[in-house]
Amino acid sequence: MNWEIGPIFRAVMRNKVGAVLIALQVAVTMTIIVNAIFIINERKELLARESGIDEANTFYLSSSGFGDNYNAQVTVEEDLANLRQIPGVINATQTNAIPISGGGWSMGLKTEPGVENEGVGVAVYFTDQHGLQTYDVELLAGRNFTDADITWRDPVKGDWPQMTILTQAMAKDLFPDLPYQDVVGKTVFINDDEPIQIIGIIDKLHAPWIGWDGLERVMLVPQHLLFDSYRYLIRTEPGQLDRLMPEIEALLADSNRNRIIRNMNSMTDTRERTYRGHSAMVSMLTIIIVVLTIVTALGIVGLVSFSVNRRRKQIGTRRALGATRFAVMRYFLVENFMITSVGVLLGAAMTVGLNIWLVNSFEMQRIDWYYIPIGMLCLWLIGLLAVYGPARKAASIPPALATRTV
Amino acid sequence: MLTMTNVKKIFRTDLVETHALKDFSLQVNEGEFVAVTGPSGSGKTTFLNIAGLLETFESGQYMLDGNDVSQLSDNARSKIRNQKIGFIFQGFNLLPDLNLFDNVDVPLRYRGWSASERKQRIEHALETVGLASRQKHLPSQLSGGQQQRVAIARALAGEPRFLLADEPTGNLDSKMAHSVMELLQDINQRGTTIVMVTHDPSLAAEAGRNIFVRDGQVSELHEVNTFADVVNG
Ligand SMILES: Nc1ncnc2c1ncn2[C@@H]1O[C@H](COP(=O)(O)OP(=O)(O)OP(=O)(O)O)[C@@H](O)[C@H]1O
Ligand SMILES: [Mg+2]
Repeated sequence: MNWEIGPIFRAVMRNKVGAVLIALQVAVTMTIIVNAIFIINERKELLARESGIDEANTFYLSSSGFGDNYNAQVTVEEDLANLRQIPGVINATQTNAIPISGGGWSMGLKTEPGVENEGVGVAVYFTDQHGLQTYDVELLAGRNFTDADITWRDPVKGDWPQMTILTQAMAKDLFPDLPYQDVVGKTVFINDDEPIQIIGIIDKLHAPWIGWDGLERVMLVPQHLLFDSYRYLIRTEPGQLDRLMPEIEALLADSNRNRIIRNMNSMTDTRERTYRGHSAMVSMLTIIIVVLTIVTALGIVGLVSFSVNRRRKQIGTRRALGATRFAVMRYFLVENFMITSVGVLLGAAMTVGLNIWLVNSFEMQRIDWYYIPIGMLCLWLIGLLAVYGPARKAASIPPALATRTV
Repeated sequence: MLTMTNVKKIFRTDLVETHALKDFSLQVNEGEFVAVTGPSGSGKTTFLNIAGLLETFESGQYMLDGNDVSQLSDNARSKIRNQKIGFIFQGFNLLPDLNLFDNVDVPLRYRGWSASERKQRIEHALETVGLASRQKHLPSQLSGGQQQRVAIARALAGEPRFLLADEPTGNLDSKMAHSVMELLQDINQRGTTIVMVTHDPSLAAEAGRNIFVRDGQVSELHEVNTFADVVNG
């Protein structure tokens, strides 16, 4: 079997303009599509990350006190006691920050005291012994807080208690060489030189900021907050959330007239809102990919149809000289494959180029190498599919056309 | 070599049915050089297309080289065209994007021959038509007569038994026409059967036998001078 590669190549080289345009279009399409798919997958990975808490059954609201009759400590104690005995509520805790929400506190912890030493950034969640259950985290080593450990944090002085529970990831970043079991009992330093003892390690809990590279670094601090405004995080039994949210909001509002309950949100809504930009990006890029693919495929269909129509007589002549229908089809498939190949090779270089630019300009990830060959294969396939119709049309041109003067 | 018996060809369009061949019967023997003449629209090209398996027909029988070719598949017909038949067209039908070498190579590539064998045949065929030195030229760089010589080289390179030419000199001036005619006669001398359609009585006179087609049927003429009589009246 003879594929006519040499003559096809030489013929293409004598009609470069159309071929170059298609090759460029293929290259640009590949560049954009491959990078877009890479970004989509990256975003999808972000979207798929779990915060560690029982998102489907957890919500939060904020309580803000006002007036002379408002007593923060009494209110918090009463509220927590009330919340925890509501049927359908698994547990509840007072807290300062909510995973995924974007708002929270961070501190630095050091393994050695002193300004000169490097600290490791960590998100701070104030909670009490009910935190583990409310956050739905598992204690891997050490112990939970007890009632006796919980202190009241003064909004002005802000003293740190002398114990904390860390996530496994935080333990690893502080003591890279130690298994997390051995991190229990270690002392670290906050505010450069205030010692804190690590009493427990939990499996997984996300910091509030989804874009932070220390997302998995969290410390639980055994303190209630005496602030005017703070939050309650409430975890319900499965299926109870929708019913309990308005009930609890009303209950808290009614139980104490010296404060207002605001900003009630489910974790599901919070996730949706926080990741909305990422979801929108995924949708937009998907549309771009689809449109570009269609445009490129149509471009190829158009170019090949045009060249088939222009070469009807030549095709008839080839048929007269003994080309089978298959040979005519193969001619156009091979011709297009050559053009697409140039585009795809150029596209591979441009894909890497665009990615490098994105990495430098937007701190994106370096593209995984296997995206390139997969992208090349896809565009080859798109090219072949697009050329198939016009090539079939070419193959149906009758050999008698060679002698007819049309 | 070629035997057509009562071949009938009808072209159907939405509005009209054209009976291009009506009970067309003809025998061409091995080694003959037959010139086909006749008025415009009489069915000469249609006959040649059917003879060359470029077109199918409604009824009748066509034996080529002892085989009934009326029921063959499209692929089988392509193969016979490729291996047994050489075509020469009025408009030369060279492929404009290919140089002379590649043009002559076109039918040979469908034969599955090795590159070296094809090269040898192409060079020999171009030599036969006196264009060996122009292999790398494009058709557009040649005169009409030279282009037709390339087309003849292309038709010959695969050594077909049977050469079909539809007005091969129709686009050439008379000097070039006669040199092409000489070339065809040479080829015929060496054993290739040729059927040529022409409008030019003086060229037809140089062929071994003349066939006159009128209204989709054959009237065979052996005397060259009577041919002129028929045309005139
Ligand atoms: N593809 C076709 N569709 C419809 N009618 C056709 C077709 N080809 C030929 N015909 C008709 O068939 C008849 C014979 O045509 P043909 O081309 O064989 O004549 P010809 O003898 O070769 O004429 P000329 O000397 O002008 O080349 C004509 O009436 C022509 O119009
Ligand atoms: Mg004709």
